[in-house]
Amino acid sequence: MSCNDQVMIRFDHVTKSYRLYSNDRDRLIDIFRGEKHSKAKKVNAVSDLSFTIRRGEAIAFLGHNGAGKSTTLKMVTGVAQPSSGTVDVNGRVCALLELTAGFNRNLTGRENIHLRGQAVGMSPEEIAELEPKVVKFADLGSYIDQPVRTYSSGMKARLGFAFAVNSDPEILVVDEALSVGDKRFRKKCLRRIRHIMEDENVTVLFVTHASATAQEFCTRGIVLEHGRLRYDGPLDDAIRIYEKSLDED
Amino acid sequence: MWSSLKDILRDDWAWRSQIHNLGMFELKKKSRGAALGWLWFFVKPALYIFVFWFALEIGLRSGSKDPSAPPYLLWLSAGLIPWFFMQAMLNAGTDVFHKHAYLVNKIKFPLGSIPLIDIVSSGVIQLGLLLALFVMYFACGQPVDVYLLQVPLVWAAMVLFFYVFSLMASCMCAFSKDVKNLIASLTTPFFWLSGIIFDMSAIDIPAVKAVMLFNPITSLTTASRAAFYDKYWIWESPEVCLGFAAVFAVTLLMALFVYKRTRSEVADVL
Repeated sequence: MSCNDQVMIRFDHVTKSYRLYSNDRDRLIDIFRGEKHSKAKKVNAVSDLSFTIRRGEAIAFLGHNGAGKSTTLKMVTGVAQPSSGTVDVNGRVCALLELTAGFNRNLTGRENIHLRGQAVGMSPEEIAELEPKVVKFADLGSYIDQPVRTYSSGMKARLGFAFAVNSDPEILVVDEALSVGDKRFRKKCLRRIRHIMEDENVTVLFVTHASATAQEFCTRGIVLEHGRLRYDGPLDDAIRIYEKSLDED
Repeated sequence: MWSSLKDILRDDWAWRSQIHNLGMFELKKKSRGAALGWLWFFVKPALYIFVFWFALEIGLRSGSKDPSAPPYLLWLSAGLIPWFFMQAMLNAGTDVFHKHAYLVNKIKFPLGSIPLIDIVSSGVIQLGLLLALFVMYFACGQPVDVYLLQVPLVWAAMVLFFYVFSLMASCMCAFSKDVKNLIASLTTPFFWLSGIIFDMSAIDIPAVKAVMLFNPITSLTTASRAAFYDKYWIWESPEVCLGFAAVFAVTLLMALFVYKRTRSEVADVL
């Protein structure tokens, strides 16, 4: 078995349900109540989802709002736990979602690079190696040593993006709705993403509503509908099925 | 339930260097923007101690009438200094998942280890204050004796108890603001009720004494004073140790239960 057959992500009959409560009191009391007496309304964001992704694949996730794309990706990044079934992820995941979340406003850009590096579990050597790359890519000039609260929203996004793409991911999650900074920086980002995707050792998950950009990058498509797997296969077929489902509604 | 405990301890150990670094970053955040920076962590407690000493000894003339007894200031500090840590944990430590929401729902970080970040940051300040307490102790001409050996034990019990407490409270606070409001409104009453600025053993109402055996703040304060001022082994008052142990056990069971019930959903509700 060559290394390109290595399984990076495996979902095995994964269901994720959220509990909805009519008020906060029920939610608190429910901690101490047995499952049978729970007052929660359970909603399945993802139901019985199974798929396997191998090293180097580039996959487009297609689906409407609320189809379960974000929930699936949250489970890939390890932030959300499945309610049942198992999720296996091998390798460092880097998500280009909500790039500016988690920056501390009072620390400088450079300190935030260190803070985030430590939070995701990098060693001091890795962070020392990463820092100049991020600083160069973000291109913030002397602002890199100023507190993040003085940054514009575009500058924060640039710092977040620069960290994400330079941290040497093995699995890259890209949300297409990504908009970073001005046009020039956006182009730079897309170039960078393309460059990462060309590396055949990096696995890419591309989340999208539209299909044009997916065609540029991906070969395989997964269509989700109401939390269920509708189709998993070659991208062209996936797009056809997804677009047909748009007409159904 | 025991497997939860094992998971938590394993994560704590595996992530120890990140926890330590994030704790130090917490201090950096707090000191940022002030020219005096770190000094403020110690100015506030020092003022606190001074004000209480002034009000109690100079104003109200409490304190020992025996001129050969060690200074009242030492008695007061031996209670107030551990209280500063407990106060920090009752404030910042009760809702750590909202405070570090980014660690919960943006990146993968073990949930059970998040309370330790604030324990590290408050713990560093506490170590500095403890050092100051020792300086004060020797400056008052007190001897090096065996009873001081209790100090690491008492402080370890305090840190352990508040880790468990913080985990339990934070899991519940993630789901409901009631718990947070409850603890916030109890912090000041607990300061006045727990015998931090008066001598609990001098109260001669048995019912009050019995209830206070189950107040861990009282137990820890009493133990600290046993080491620094009253000079006896805390296990010579077994009722204090047993009361603390009982509360600790109940809190631990509660924390594990709540953690087990909520861990997979905390990220969904923040």
